[in-house]
Amino acid sequence: MAAVTLSNVVKRFGVYEIIHGANIDIADGEFVVFVGPSGCGKSTLLRMVAGLEDISGGEIAIGGKVMNDVEAAERGIAMVFQSYALYPHMTVEQNLSFGLRMNGNPKADTERRVKRAAEILCIDELMQRRPKQLSGGQRQRVAIGRAIVREPQVFLFDEPLSNLDAELRVQMRVEISRLHKELGVTMIYVTHDQTEAMTLADRIVVLKAGNVEQIGAPLDLYDDPANRFVAGFIGSPKMNFLAAKVVEADNGSATVELVNHAGARLKKPLQTTPPAVGADVVLGVRPEHFFDAGQGDCDIAVKADVAEHLGSVSYVYADAGGTELIIEREASRHRASGDDLVVSIKAGKALLFDTKGARIR
Amino acid sequence: MRHQNATAYRFLAPYLLIFSVFWVWPIISSFLISFQATRTVPWRWAPTFNWGRLIGDPAFFNALKNTLLILVIQVPVMISLAIVMAVLLNSPLLKARGLYRFAFFAPVVVGEVAYSAVFRLMFNLNFGIINKLLNSVGLPSIDWFSNVTPAMALIMIAVTWRWAGYNAIILLAGLQSIPDDVYEAATLDRVSKVKQFFYITLPLLKPIIVFCAVLSIIGTMQLFTEPFLITERGGPGGGTETLGLLLYRQGFRSLNFGYASAVAYTMAGLAIAITLVQLWLTKEPK
Repeated sequence: MAAVTLSNVVKRFGVYEIIHGANIDIADGEFVVFVGPSGCGKSTLLRMVAGLEDISGGEIAIGGKVMNDVEAAERGIAMVFQSYALYPHMTVEQNLSFGLRMNGNPKADTERRVKRAAEILCIDELMQRRPKQLSGGQRQRVAIGRAIVREPQVFLFDEPLSNLDAELRVQMRVEISRLHKELGVTMIYVTHDQTEAMTLADRIVVLKAGNVEQIGAPLDLYDDPANRFVAGFIGSPKMNFLAAKVVEADNGSATVELVNHAGARLKKPLQTTPPAVGADVVLGVRPEHFFDAGQGDCDIAVKADVAEHLGSVSYVYADAGGTELIIEREASRHRASGDDLVVSIKAGKALLFDTKGARIR
Repeated sequence: MRHQNATAYRFLAPYLLIFSVFWVWPIISSFLISFQATRTVPWRWAPTFNWGRLIGDPAFFNALKNTLLILVIQVPVMISLAIVMAVLLNSPLLKARGLYRFAFFAPVVVGEVAYSAVFRLMFNLNFGIINKLLNSVGLPSIDWFSNVTPAMALIMIAVTWRWAGYNAIILLAGLQSIPDDVYEAATLDRVSKVKQFFYITLPLLKPIIVFCAVLSIIGTMQLFTEPFLITERGGPGGGTETLGLLLYRQGFRSLNFGYASAVAYTMAGLAIAITLVQLWLTKEPK
């Protein structure tokens, strides 16, 4: 087990800078998820930790030792690849033991490690099969097993569940979570799926275009995002954003009026200097933070368009003066298409952002 | 459905007709000819005449021995060389990869007569560059065309030069189909590059290697150009005569089509048999 520290890590491909000085501290035994949209640099960052990509600038340390010039094989890490990367010509047992055999590990110890990994992942029955004879989920287990037998200091997962169907993804997610508890090893997990990030992580690192946008516990990111990007990326369905204008500002609060809803005003308490009167701002409201008319601080009228009924709740897609809103309702109170609906927003549940996306706290 | 099929066959008919006349019929006809004595007029049916001669013909066994010798030595050497060339071509460190790929493939498109003439000049006893090079490192000149062993070596060198690059290009396609992440996984498993080559690259390349070997075996069984043009019709004294050359000599010099047909069928049978054995030996376990 080991802590992982990334200090001002930069990655360049030719003249293009892909990672712009990432600073991330990962504690010993922690489960950290790098999440972000495609092309944000999360996999590149993981591959730099693994040693599969050179580090253009900054430092990466594992267990307190700087790894910039240490070969991938010597970093004490194991990686599970998106495509599983199993050796197609070897049986499951050979796949698990290959690395150990090639390095002259004692046979008895190799057998012990393979047996243990097989037991943990319930793949004992599959040991003599080849990868092509396995399902996607089974292949993924073997890939994880191959990582386990190495007994690494750090596990790296590069979008390991993205090739699985929805049901299997949930199942494997639970198993990876259980595995982390059982092994207690530091794990770094890359995904573009914020649900995976929320359910698995001790802490989430949100990346966008090579920048670390925010690092924090899942619910901290959900409740207290640093900016509009994080607010919109974390949470499913995503947060609603409504254009607004500051109409009053005093020391400790700002009153905003929704642009497409004349008279719909909300007084938002602030810890910092409020924006100037007349400034454009954006109000962020999560789907579950729309209340029945009159129960919040400000009511707005919307027209229901489509309703998705998920059983326990329904999501109503509604038009609010040209802006599409997603409103969570109790299942029994869903609206049909075309219905007029009045919902209410509470100042304490709404977040304020400036037009550049920075949070106004 | 039947009507549709009939229409399709009507469209195919011109091709099928030409295919039958110039492809299927000669195959059947040559098989029948192999059972006839063709040095009499008219040809007469004599089932054991050619096949019986084949079993006891020293010229046939000489040609068979030469062909198999070339096959056993040249094919493995060429495939090994092609694998090395393919791995080098696939290296990310290599610059101007396109140029090398063209250079490796170029011998295949060079005219056979031109390349044979160049080889004859290069290996000439008195002024060939190969003997000059040998002399420059203190080795004596070799008379490549008058002695059997050097002549056989020359044939093997020439065939290898001509076809190694071609096989390397096929193997390169196989190498490029092996996903990078398999090597990355092996690297993280602390497996050295050399072990990666022997334990990952070679096993995963096996189907392509077998394919190249089968092509080469078939090609070598039919070997004709090099012994005909470079060592002058299988010289010295039949020392490099191959089955292909024997077939030509019997069929088109002696006009003994019956015997030539028997030789042709023997060549085809041997090629099939060797290929089947090889496929069986390299069969993937289920």
